[in-house]
Amino acid sequence: MKSWDLIRIANRNLFRNKLRTFLTVAAIFVGSFTLTMTNGLGDGMRNYVESQVKNIESDRVIMVRRKIERPAGGPKAGAPEEYKETSKDDEGEEFDPNTFLLTIPQMEAVVRDLDGVKGITPRYQIKGEYITLDGQKKYKLELGVLSEGITQKTEAGHSINGQDQIVIPLGLARELDQNVASLIGKKVAISYKAPDGSFRSLPLEVVGVATKGFMTNYNSFVDAGTARKIHEDQRTGEGPDKFPGFTIQMATSDEAKIAAVKRSLDAKGFEADTIADTQKRTYDAIGIFKTGMSLFALIALLAASFGIINTLVIAVLERTKEIGLQKALGMSRGRIFAVFSLESVLIGFWGALLGTIGGIAVGLAANKVLIAAYAESFEGFSLFAFTLPSIVSVFALVSAVAFVAGVMPAFRASRLNPIESLRYE
Amino acid sequence: MLEVKNLSKTYSGEGQDFQALSNVDLRVENGECVAIVGKSGSGKSTLMHLLACLDEPTEGSVIVDGRDISTLSERAKNTLRNERFGFVFQQFFLNGRDTVFENVALPLRIRGADMSELTSGASTALAAVGLSDKINKKAKDLSGGEKQRVCIARALVGKPGVIFADEPTGNLDSLNGAVVEDLLFKLNRDQGITIVIVTHDDDLAERCQRIIEMKDGQVVSERRGKNI
Repeated sequence: MKSWDLIRIANRNLFRNKLRTFLTVAAIFVGSFTLTMTNGLGDGMRNYVESQVKNIESDRVIMVRRKIERPAGGPKAGAPEEYKETSKDDEGEEFDPNTFLLTIPQMEAVVRDLDGVKGITPRYQIKGEYITLDGQKKYKLELGVLSEGITQKTEAGHSINGQDQIVIPLGLARELDQNVASLIGKKVAISYKAPDGSFRSLPLEVVGVATKGFMTNYNSFVDAGTARKIHEDQRTGEGPDKFPGFTIQMATSDEAKIAAVKRSLDAKGFEADTIADTQKRTYDAIGIFKTGMSLFALIALLAASFGIINTLVIAVLERTKEIGLQKALGMSRGRIFAVFSLESVLIGFWGALLGTIGGIAVGLAANKVLIAAYAESFEGFSLFAFTLPSIVSVFALVSAVAFVAGVMPAFRASRLNPIESLRYE
Repeated sequence: MLEVKNLSKTYSGEGQDFQALSNVDLRVENGECVAIVGKSGSGKSTLMHLLACLDEPTEGSVIVDGRDISTLSERAKNTLRNERFGFVFQQFFLNGRDTVFENVALPLRIRGADMSELTSGASTALAAVGLSDKINKKAKDLSGGEKQRVCIARALVGKPGVIFADEPTGNLDSLNGAVVEDLLFKLNRDQGITIVIVTHDDDLAERCQRIIEMKDGQVVSERRGKNI
């Protein structure tokens, strides 16, 4: 029998029992619909998060901080820590065991023998007060540092590439001038408080207007040199400066070298992450969320697959005589198996087709409603995103589930004895 | 040519075995018209199933065209049944929701024939049974006699050497039964198709060349019919 004949016969058999087929397809529809929606939600979130975190990029910096040894879980969680006596000199290169803070000499000593390290930048803890363009109208200033080697995406101008520069967020830029591009190259003054309460001011050049993102929605970013100046004005403690972490600038973007440096840092008791690592962690979290939700859809599919099995088992019984005749007339076991398998896969196909179409339609409609309602707060956000690979994977998965569900009934049909089948009442 | 040698068939049931055939020898030449008669349980249907390669003997051999079918693969037996044999059953086994054409064309579909072969084969076979005008009717809308004639067309469509007919007139009134009988004998006479009829209708059996009578799984007598 020709393959096309098999498909035609399988389809015809399905349409003969319209209600039963419809109900079985409906169960598969629910599963595929749910799977399409959860995939769409996961992809939508990922797209959004990606658009937000991708605003800050670097292929050659590593962010480090000391590993915290305090147990986060287990029986000792939250237990008070014993103070460790130390004779160590604060100024030296040895670590103080009672803090995770680091000094510049300590960090320099750590990276001294690492291959490919160009320099280090401390994570300055600085606080701004306000920013003003014309000296009259002042805006609250949230201040961040952009270490050398890190770039951020800009709507206008460019990322920081020198001294005394600032990149301002899009919201602030629009407030200062609707034509944000005209701000590039202008001087602004930022103001911050010294420990004695006095205000100090720095003139900076606006080099860029940041594209929106988690970190760039409200923060203005200055170069590391400017940050150091502010830090020195704001520091209060005695003794050497201590920082919660450092950014290591690499001379190369070679992944193997960066990985080697990360390994060395890990061995020395540091948590070392590239920007790609932190992004990956975020994506992984979304991936886990997506997988978790998809599990519910898979349970629906699993339930539906029992519907397929049931439908086909009944079909085999109903068509016992027909199968007997076909076998008597020389139809092979393989072809009998194929007809029932195809019926099963076709049920899956129709369910997947309707489910994905339904899921996409509902998802796109939901996006429209949400965009209308929340466009202001979530620029560029769509709750559901539908990609070809995820749709194809839904189809492949549903077809596979349907095929597996059909194996048992199809096998039973293929093994029927022709004489007994012809006598079957 | 069909031949069985020392053929036995035992059905194993719960606790006790049932010997449906024991030590049957039979030879059917090409172009013969043979009736196998006997009461129900005499083994006549079992013998036909074995001759038609629908079942496996417990002992002995079935030889079709000089080949022992126990040496054939499953696939080869399927091909043999599809290409060399035609079947007519008492209960028709037509698919009522299909058209007459689909029912008749089924053996050719199983064979993998293309559409032009299906069309020409089905219309020739239907013409031979005088039902050309019913080709697009649903099988369930036919009368009993017409249904059995469609079955003969289906048996004929693959140009078989042998047609096995299991109580072909059992579900028909005498008028329609006579039409079906005439058709079978005409195929035997005009096309040289070997006919093997299983029946307990003595009148039908008498019209065959040879009558094999069975009882308790054995051939008890063999005689010549009137062959009309």
